Amino acid sequence: MTTPTLDITGDVCPMTFVKVKMGLQRVPPLGTLSVRLKEDALKNVISSLKTEGHRVTNVSQEDGVFLLEVTKAG
Amino acid sequence: MTDDMNEADYKELKRGGMMRQAEAGLFSVRLHVIGGRLATPQLRAIREAADRFGRGEIHLTSRQGVEIPHVPQDALAAVKEFLAPSGVGVGVCGPTVRTVTACQGCRVCPSGVIDSPELAEAVDRELYGKPVPHKFKVGISGCVNNCMKAEENDVGIKGWIEPRWEAPSCTFCGVCQAVCPTKAISTSEDGGALIIDPTLCIGCGDCITSCPAGNMREKIRGYRVFAGGKFGRRPSLGRRILGVLRTKEEAMAAILAVLDFFREQGKPRERFGDTLQRTGFPALETFVKEKTGLP
Repeated sequence: MTTPTLDITGDVCPMTFVKVKMGLQRVPPLGTLSVRLKEDALKNVISSLKTEGHRVTNVSQEDGVFLLEVTKAG
Repeated sequence: MTDDMNEADYKELKRGGMMRQAEAGLFSVRLHVIGGRLATPQLRAIREAADRFGRGEIHLTSRQGVEIPHVPQDALAAVKEFLAPSGVGVGVCGPTVRTVTACQGCRVCPSGVIDSPELAEAVDRELYGKPVPHKFKVGISGCVNNCMKAEENDVGIKGWIEPRWEAPSCTFCGVCQAVCPTKAISTSEDGGALIIDPTLCIGCGDCITSCPAGNMREKIRGYRVFAGGKFGRRPSLGRRILGVLRTKEEAMAAILAVLDFFREQGKPRERFGDTLQRTGFPALETFVKEKTGLP
């Protein structure tokens, strides 16, 4: 199964946070979601993911855009 | 009624929080407020006093204080007496330690790192109204968002999170470096470690909040001291002194030592920031460290 990718590079807070939340609703527990985002959104997106029990299992960067691999809480 | 008052009498009244108004014979009565917090019975008493002795007006000052303006001189003693049973004291002015300002702190504010009202009460108990070479203001911000503008005060305190990097599972993903507002985090030359520059770190804790793997931890959740700030005619910002302090008691010890320094070095009617311009900040820091043993 390919990992769905959510692109929120064009969004600003709080839509970044809302879209990630909605994106994760379509993923089964322990499933993964890739999120493309800009630097500005990193702090709020990662901290809210952590608060809700999800895990950021990989982080990569290309051309100033971050790609997070998020594993949904079980 | 004001004919027999001389300037010395006015000065004495002012020191006791009775501020002479532009209009002869009237005073604005400054009240004792700590960190902008009043209980409802106190507020009711203040309202009643403003109706009874003033003109039904209350002035909220720029530093969380409360004043009742338009009180005739012959009612000053009566206002004081009226307010006392409700636990409302009269304030201070002149060359004294002034109102201690504080935000709501960590018990109320989600961003709060320290219990600012608690420290404000302790500082107030120890220092409010005490004589100093010139007016001396203490302000306490619960975190680095700095709602209480620590650097505007003769001594300012900020709640501060000092981060520590732990190696084990760090993947060097770059998130902490990207979120750091002052770019205080760099990678070591060999690429095997992250280095946090303490002179750049502003204690926000964003690196800790954002680290996906939990490799950024809280080293100290504590207090940062700023000295020598003021506004007025020639504003200058306070500068940070000492390391990050761990407890309320350490913060208190630092504040007391700073005041000792000001009492020793300050000239009458010289603001603390100006004293520090003469002595330099290192002199203050050395003095405080020797006196308290703080880092």
